[in-house]
This record gives sequence, structure tokens and C-alpha cells, in this order.
Amino acid sequence: MNKTPKMLNSKVAGYSSLITFAILLIAWLAGFSSRLFAVIRFESIIHEFDPWFNYRATAYMVQHGWYKFLNWFDERAWYPLGRIVGGTVYPGLMITSGGIHWLLNILNIPVHIRDICVFLAPVFSGLTSISTYLLTKELWSSGAGLFAASFIAIVPGYISRSVAGSYDNEGIAIFALQFTYFLWVRSVKTGSVFWSAGAALSYFYMVSAWGGYVFIINLIPLHVFVLLIMGRYSPRLLTSYSTFYILGLLFSMQIPFVGFQPIRTSEHMAALGVFVLLMAVATLRHLQSVLSRNEFRKLFIVGGLLVGVGVFVAVVVLTMLGVVAPWSGRFYSLWDTGYAKIHIPIIASVSEHQPTTWFSFFFDLHILVCAFPVGVWYCIKQINDERVFVVLYAISAVYFAGVMVRLMLTLTPVVCMLAGVAFSGLLDVFLQEDSSKRMGSAIHAAAEVDEAEDSIEKKTLYDKAGKLKHRTKHDAQQDTGISSNLKSIVILAVLMLLMMFAVHCTWVTSNAYSSPSIVLAFHNSQDGSRNILDDFREAYYWLSQNTADDARVMSWWDYGYQIAGMANRTTLVDNNTWNNSHIALVGKAMSSTEEKSYEIMTSLDVDYVLVIFGGVIGYSGDDINKFLWMVRIAEGEHPKDIKESDYFTDRGEFRVDAEGAPALLNCLMYKLSYYRFGELKLDYRGPSGYDRTRNAVIGNKDFDLTYLEEAYTTEHWLVRIYRVKKPHEFNRPALKAKERTIPPGNSISRKNAKRRKGYIRNRPVVIKGKRTLK
Amino acid sequence: MMWKALLIAVLAFTHCQAVLETDANTLVLLDNLAIRETHSIFFKSLQDRGFKLTYKLADDSSLLLSRYGEYLYKNVIIFAPSVEEFGGDISVERLAQFVDDGGNVLVAGSEKSGDALREFASECGFELDEENAAVIDHLNYDASDAGDHTTILTSAKNLIQADTIVGKANRKSDAAPLIYRGTGLIADKENPLVLKVLTAESSAYSYNPDSSVTDYPHAVGRGTLLIAALQARNNARVVFSGSLVFFSDESFTTAVQYAQSGVFHKQAGNRAVAESISQWVFGETGRLRVGSVQHNKEGERLPPEQAYTITDPVVYTIAIEELVDGQWRAFKANDIQLEFVRIDPFVRTYLKQTKTGAYEAKFKIPDVYGVYQFKVDYDRVGYTHLYSTTQVSVRPLEHTQYERFIPSAFPYYTSAFSMMIGVFVFSFVFLHFKDEPTGKSSKDDKKTQ
Repeated sequence: MNKTPKMLNSKVAGYSSLITFAILLIAWLAGFSSRLFAVIRFESIIHEFDPWFNYRATAYMVQHGWYKFLNWFDERAWYPLGRIVGGTVYPGLMITSGGIHWLLNILNIPVHIRDICVFLAPVFSGLTSISTYLLTKELWSSGAGLFAASFIAIVPGYISRSVAGSYDNEGIAIFALQFTYFLWVRSVKTGSVFWSAGAALSYFYMVSAWGGYVFIINLIPLHVFVLLIMGRYSPRLLTSYSTFYILGLLFSMQIPFVGFQPIRTSEHMAALGVFVLLMAVATLRHLQSVLSRNEFRKLFIVGGLLVGVGVFVAVVVLTMLGVVAPWSGRFYSLWDTGYAKIHIPIIASVSEHQPTTWFSFFFDLHILVCAFPVGVWYCIKQINDERVFVVLYAISAVYFAGVMVRLMLTLTPVVCMLAGVAFSGLLDVFLQEDSSKRMGSAIHAAAEVDEAEDSIEKKTLYDKAGKLKHRTKHDAQQDTGISSNLKSIVILAVLMLLMMFAVHCTWVTSNAYSSPSIVLAFHNSQDGSRNILDDFREAYYWLSQNTADDARVMSWWDYGYQIAGMANRTTLVDNNTWNNSHIALVGKAMSSTEEKSYEIMTSLDVDYVLVIFGGVIGYSGDDINKFLWMVRIAEGEHPKDIKESDYFTDRGEFRVDAEGAPALLNCLMYKLSYYRFGELKLDYRGPSGYDRTRNAVIGNKDFDLTYLEEAYTTEHWLVRIYRVKKPHEFNRPALKAKERTIPPGNSISRKNAKRRKGYIRNRPVVIKGKRTLK
Repeated sequence: MMWKALLIAVLAFTHCQAVLETDANTLVLLDNLAIRETHSIFFKSLQDRGFKLTYKLADDSSLLLSRYGEYLYKNVIIFAPSVEEFGGDISVERLAQFVDDGGNVLVAGSEKSGDALREFASECGFELDEENAAVIDHLNYDASDAGDHTTILTSAKNLIQADTIVGKANRKSDAAPLIYRGTGLIADKENPLVLKVLTAESSAYSYNPDSSVTDYPHAVGRGTLLIAALQARNNARVVFSGSLVFFSDESFTTAVQYAQSGVFHKQAGNRAVAESISQWVFGETGRLRVGSVQHNKEGERLPPEQAYTITDPVVYTIAIEELVDGQWRAFKANDIQLEFVRIDPFVRTYLKQTKTGAYEAKFKIPDVYGVYQFKVDYDRVGYTHLYSTTQVSVRPLEHTQYERFIPSAFPYYTSAFSMMIGVFVFSFVFLHFKDEPTGKSSKDDKKTQ
């Protein structure tokens, strides 16, 4: 579309590229700056859980070099199993930030690796918007691309995973995803080996960065398959797919963590099947051009049947022999939303694996979720090879986002693209003439609403892009009879929507997605001041300063990475949940009585136990609220010892007050959370031992710990650390008064502060002046 | 000359240390000072062995066990059966704390033991029988018995099978029987640390000799404990005897005769056994320690810097020393085991003694990576609990350690190289092949594909 005016008028082309450049730059800046809320409000720290591991791994790589990192055996994680870090991570993230660090150091810019890690995701969001622009431009038009780029820069669904400090795989993977799709669409369009090899390279980067690469290696074959069914086979398709598949396969197998999975697991079989199918179709096409019609029909039927049966048998046999691994649990839970809850509690226990609510679609995407079907409709109406791709992308991403909250992330880019298409299509219709009026309204709107630069940028975007479109369609659609009033009303409405979108995005980013979750902030309702709870770091710092270097800390797996990252202590389980039975063992220790869990803890050489307790400040993400998952996971591995039903009351309630189940009131987790909590009065009127999170007075108040002792409790009781006593501290099992055969006498001490003399019965008394009788 | 003098000085110094160990201060708590005279042989033997005894009455108001957090005594002897409450600083809790801090205690009770001893006994995992109850044996009593058959004889074979506690010679079948007059002890069956040092004959029971037997006695037959011991987990030792008379000069020197069978011995076995028990309880015998632990890959001197690699051959050496006559000497045994543990033991093997006296084991690290511990856990009756763990990491192969050219890959190498040659030949042929003009169009078609 842009080609014609470019040829006609080089001046316009110059303007258009300047505008494109400017808008992309502004989108980058807006995306970058709106991700900085967390850094400005708190500080430049790594957020949450997984990023702490990524940061630790990156720091290790920067310090020790790539090969040491590749061979890194981390003996401080998963004690006593250990973890081969090099072979169990997607190293793309570490390599990326390590590379940037190296480059900056070469240029004599000394930046701490932590700052690079903190700001990596915001920087990459700019690259994501550029690659989204390129992809949308391939699919529709440059104007739609600019819309899409601006949308993705600030849309909350993407920001949620890429704020500053959220140093996670997704931060760079979305860029890789979009860029791979762009190159793929390019290669399908051109049929050039160059572009498809580029797509394979970009796919390689994606594989190295995120496990979500499976999405690519299934979506692209799906695209090819649908194109074949639609009868859109072309030599271009053959070239691009076969090049992409073979190169991509070889590349992806270079990542140690992926290894032989691409040829052995079911997730990757679709790509292989489509490759074979494509080859078959190409062969048939060729035979068709060589053979006569009758011969060809016979060959087609017989050969087709034979191949079909052969492939089916081969897949079944290989699966049964175990050569091709069956689908992994996470993958099953994509198809059957109830699967995880029944079979794999450890997957279901993660909040981001829960099904998405309707609310969160609107929350994360706002107006885009409404414009998105319009974009799909536009694409279906004017279908071509690459639009088939985007439609498939949209449909599959919508499905997956509905299954898991976490996969909202893969939906977001396609929603931005298609919403961009929709808005661009809308403005194409309503922005055809009278540029001066349009400009006026835009400036008017800008003056009226004092909004962040995002919205202004949006206006600029529509404005300039519209100018381009205006010129392109100037002659073609001159005679559409829409009155200028209607046009301005529609345009104003669209502008208002986009403005509200920008406001919403900023609001969501600032309120929902910018909390580091290491440091908590709350507003005091009385004086409105902002208080910071820094209990987590307080506890981790205590651990790092006051415990032996090789001390082993047991906690629920959520805190494993943080303990390793901040306290630098050995952990038993962490967020890399690769060993379910080990986690179940920890869950069993937490949900058994103190005595039984002591056995488990000594067999695992535990030195300290760390629990998170929110009852004092009303923090709901604490261990008691997660406790049922511990029980479920433990029950999965030890069904004889742990039963979930024991932890509920007769009426099936989970409660911590006096009516709670006895198993719950006596388990280790309960005792560690509420140890000495019964003595605490939170306010003058309320009873002592009142749990603010669960709004109940705890049921078991007075108890002592036998096998553990309190080592540290943070200021707001958020983190409590206990020391596990060593066997030699139970020096001699004393006989308790109850267990004695002979009941103890009830002697009362006759000693007091002054009289320190003891008492001996029948003590011989010396009587002067008498002889002893013998 | 100089270095020789230095050597002698060093030797003297180390020797001094060894002496210091046994030259510990010992507090003796007594019912009355007469006991000091009636048990003089026992106390004399202790003094001869270098113990410094401090005699005090058990109810003395100036009793002091520790000052400024440091214990004044290493051992305590309580020969005060009828004490109801200790005087001064000492109480049952303080004594229990003393044991927990590593102190050794020897206690002797009697038929009329006071509450203080009962409480302390139950702290250690055994009980004294009811007041006035005495061990009665109507078959094996001494000829000197007054008539209620409470002066009993028990043969040496009823001693615990531990040479370090009771002495090797004292358990011989022809050894003299032991004379005993006092109450019986009841041991906590659940307590794994309690040792039954001496039991009565199977015909004995513990009951009040002045009343008729109405209830079932608390202790009957071989279950009647006469002397019990506890070696706590910190290797502190407590010996409890139900009879103070057992340690007296009278029992040490008297001749014994079984009243029923008339078998006569010139002297009771008490003296040797009591001395042996006192040696054990005060830590002169039966003490082991780990001298040094060393592990390394076979053929190397030092342990690896970071970690072992799976399937490495490894050598583990441990020097175990025993205290013999006040000196640490290499310990000799053939039942010491080494375990290589990661939650469960992956390797369990006997340690073999080398010429230098150290124990050594050679094995291959299992093909499973993780954090392991070399664990020597040697727990034998009469010896201190020897426990040594050394944590090591075992890592998987590095990326350079895998075999690079494996036979099963040769077909792939062949196909790769044949492909390269094929392409080269094909392109050569393709470039230099001039086709007939008729076939040209179809070829062009293919090229565009």
C-alpha cells in the first residue's frame, strides 16, 4: 500500500519513515518509562521468586564465565540432590544480560550486573514493539503496525511480566516470539531461504530463552497444515517450512535443557508430521505433473492409505516403547483444565496456572479485547497466506489464555496486532478528507485531557498514520458518502477510547503490576502515610549473617530461590519444581506432628526452618493459606501418612480456630506459624492470638516446641525462622513422671534464699557427752 | 642439642595434658563423713590414679558445682543414699545440667534412698525401687546373711558383656561372685542409652523383706538391675548402683560363700569390678576419638577443590584413637563401617586398618550426582559414640568429559561426509553438463522451486 506513494513522491516517503521512526521511538520510551514504577517507588531490586534465580545464575555466569556456568553443579539447591544448573535452564536470558554487561564493560561503562538484570525487560519491551510493528506491517499495513507497536508498549498483559526488576524469561521471550513470527511470515510471503533461515535463528534464540517455544513449533506447523488443507500449497511454502523446520530442529537441540526432546516428545511431533505431510504433498504434486490422471489416482489412494496406516502404527509403537515420551503434565492441563487439579497438585498449586477469569481479560487488555474480534474479522474477510497465520495465532492464543492465567502473555501480542488492524481499518474509513479539521480535533483533545505522554503519542500516531492512509486511498474511496459530522463524532469517540486505554494501562501498571513482592507497602488508613514492610529481606539478611555457611534451610518451595539468592544458604526445595517427591517430603514434614517431622528433618539434615506468617499484618499469601497444597502434594506421594480430609473439620471447613481439625492444630506448620502467637494482643479490645488474615482467634494457643527453637522472627512476624535441635541436644531421654513404675514422692524444697542447707534423712546427730552404743 | 630439649619439652607438655585429663577434680558427696572411712579402699584407688577428691556432706549449704559458668569439677560421686535434698547450689536439675554439659556422675543408693536420688535416677532413665525394698534371693545369698536373704551373691557372668566397663578378667567363669546388699533398679525399656551393667541371678526379686509379698514385685529375676549405667549422647557417663555397700571396704575384702551350695571364694569380686566401673565412668577407658579424616581421589593427595565427579574412585582414610593408660593410641577393631550417604547409604563398606593404624576404604563413587556424606557411625557398648561425617559434592560429567567419537555415531559421520562429497560432485556435474534444448524448460521449473 505504501509503495505507490513512495514511488510517486519521495518527500512523502521521507516523512513517513521519519514518522514511523519517531513513533517507534516514542513507543519504546513510553513502554520503558511506564515499567519503572517499581524502581521509582521502591528501589532497583529483583522482584518475586524466579527472577532471583535468574539473577543468581547470571551473576554466576558473569563471574565465572560461560563454560563454568554450563557445567555449574549447584550443591546449594535441592539438598542433598543438587541441581545441574547448566542443563536445566534456558540460558538465553543469562546470555543476553551477560552479553550486554560484557559489551558495556568493553566500552568502559561499569554497570553492575544487577542493574542490567533489572532494566533488561523494559529495554526489551521496546524491541518487542518494533518486532510487533514489523509483523503487523507484514500482515496488514504500516499504520496498523504503528498502532500495534504502541499498544504492546503499554498494554498491562505484557507489562505484568516485564516491569523493571521482573527479570524473567518472558521478558525477552515475547520479543523473540514476535520476531520469529515476523520472519516466518516474511519467509512464507517471499519463499526465500534467507528469511526462513532467519526465522530458524530467531527460533533458536526463543528456544534458548523460554519453554514457550513449544507454542511456535506447534503454531507454525499448524499454519502450514491449514494452508495445505485450504489448497494454498505453494513452492514458497515448501521452501520456507522445510528450511525452517530442519534448521530450527538442529538449533533447538543445541540447548542442553532441550536436548533430544524435539525428536522424542509428543509436543514436537506435530511439526515432524507436518514436515512429512508437506514432503508428501510436494511429491504428489510433482508426480501429478509427470503421471497421467488415472495412474495418479490409483497411486494416490493406495499410497495415501499405506502412509496413513504406517504413520499411525509407528507413532503408537514408538510411544509404547517409550521412545517418544508421552505428553507432559503441564501440557495435559492445557487441554483438560481439570486434569492438573486431580493428578498433579504441584502444577495446580501455582496461582498462575489457574484458569483465567473474564475479569482479567478486560483488566489486562481493556479496549483491545473488544477491538480484537474486529481485527480477526478483517483478516478473515481479506484472507491470504499470512493472515491465515494471524487468525490461527489468535484462536489458539485465546484458547490457551482461557486455560491458564500465565498464558495471557501469549495472547497479548496478537490482540495488540489485531486491535491495531481494527483501529487502522476504522480510521481508514473515517479519516479520508479534511486533514485540517482532523488535526484540530486531535490537538483539542490533547489540550483538554492532561494525560501521560502515552495518550498523546496515541494521538500523534493516529494523526500521522492517517495522513499516510489518506494519501494512499485518496483516489480509490473518494465517493464514500459519510457526513463530516459523523466522521468527527466517530473519530472523537475512538480518541476517547484510546485515551481511556492509556489511562487504564498506566493505572493498572502502577497499582497491580509494580509491586516487587519482596518489599511490601501499605497505606496507613489513619494518616495516609505509606509504610514499607521489609521483613523478607530482614529475615534473609539475618540468615546470611547468623547461620553457618553450609546451614540447610527448609521452607516451602516458593521461597527457595529467594533464600538462595539473598541469604546464600542451602535449600531443600525451590521454585524449579523438578522433583515432586522431594517437595512432597517437605510437605509431609510440614503437615506431620512435630515428632514425626523431626525424623524427616534429621534425615534431610535440616538446620533451620523458615515459615511465612501473615497473621499479624493480615498478609494473605502466607504459608497457612498455602498449607492445603502442601497437604495435597504430600498426600500424592505418601497417601498412608497424610490425608487431606484430616485437616478439615467435620463440616469440611479449613479453619484455624478452636473448632479446627486436630491434625491441623498439631501439625508442624501450625505450630511454627503460631508459636507464642497466643500471647500476642494486637489491639486493646480484641482477644489475644487473633489472626488478622483468617479473622479468627487461633485454636491452639499454649504449646511448646520440643524439637525446634525459635531463632528469629521479623518485625511484623512475617518471616519466622526456627532452629532444628540436633540429636545430641536430647542428651538423655529422661523418664517422665507419668511413665514411672513407682509414683514420685511429693517433696517440697526446703531451701530458700537464706537457708541453703539441704536435708538428709536420719542424719546422725552428734550429741555431746554421750558414748556411741555399739 | 637445642632441638632435643625442645622435643622433650613438647613431649612433656603433651604428657602433661594427658595427665591433666585424669587429674580432674572430683566432688564426693556423702551422707556422713564416716562413709569416707568405710569406703577408703575405693577412694584410695581413685586417688592413686590421680583424682583429686573433695569430700562434702550432701546437705552442705556451701556446695558449689560451677562458678562463673565454669564447672569446678569434672566428676561427681554421690555416696549419700538418704539425701532428700542437696544443699547449696546443687539440685537435681543442676546435676542433670552437669551431665548434659559433659560431666560424669557415680551414684550409689540403698534400701532407704531419698527423693533426690530418685529424681536424679529418673532424669537418667531408671528408677530405684520403692522405699525399704531390697533385692532378695533365697537361693544365692551369702553365708554372712542375717536371715532375710538380702545379702546376695551374683556371679560374674551377670556382668554386662563389655570389657571396657567391667574389665575382661572380671567376667571369667571362674571369677569370684559379687556381693550386694541394696535395692533393685528398674530401667526404662524405651531408653536405648541405658546399659544393664550388673543384674541379679534369676532367682532374685526386689521387695520389702519385712512384709509379705502381696503385689507382684517391680523387679524379678534377671530383670532385677543391680548396677545400671547411662552413656548420654554427649558421651557423659552416669553409673547408678542400688547398693552403697557394694563399694565398701567390707565388700572389697570379705570372703564369700554361697549359703546353699557352700561354694567358697577367698575374696568377693567387688574390688576389681568397682575399680573397673569407676575407670569407665570417669572416662579413663572406653574412650575413642577421631584423629583425622582424609579423602581424595585415588592416586591424588588432596581432595578435589570443588567436587568429585560421578564414578570417581575414591580413598577415604580415618584415624581412630583410643585412650589407653592416659595416652591416645591407634584403635584396633575390624567392625568399623563407612557409609556414603545421600539420604540413604549408597555405599556401605568395612574400613580396613593400614600399617600406620589408620582405617581406609576404597570404593567407586556411585553414578548418581548429589551432595553426599562420608559417615562413620561406630556405636559399641562400652565405648564412646564415634560419629564423623564429612560432606562432599558429587557432580555429573562436564561437557568436555563425555566421549566424543563413539562407534554408534559412525553411520552419521559417514552420511554427513558422503553427502558433502555428493553435493560437490553433483554441483560439478550440474555446472558442466550441457543439456539438450528440449529438456530445458522442465529443469528451470525445478530450479525455481
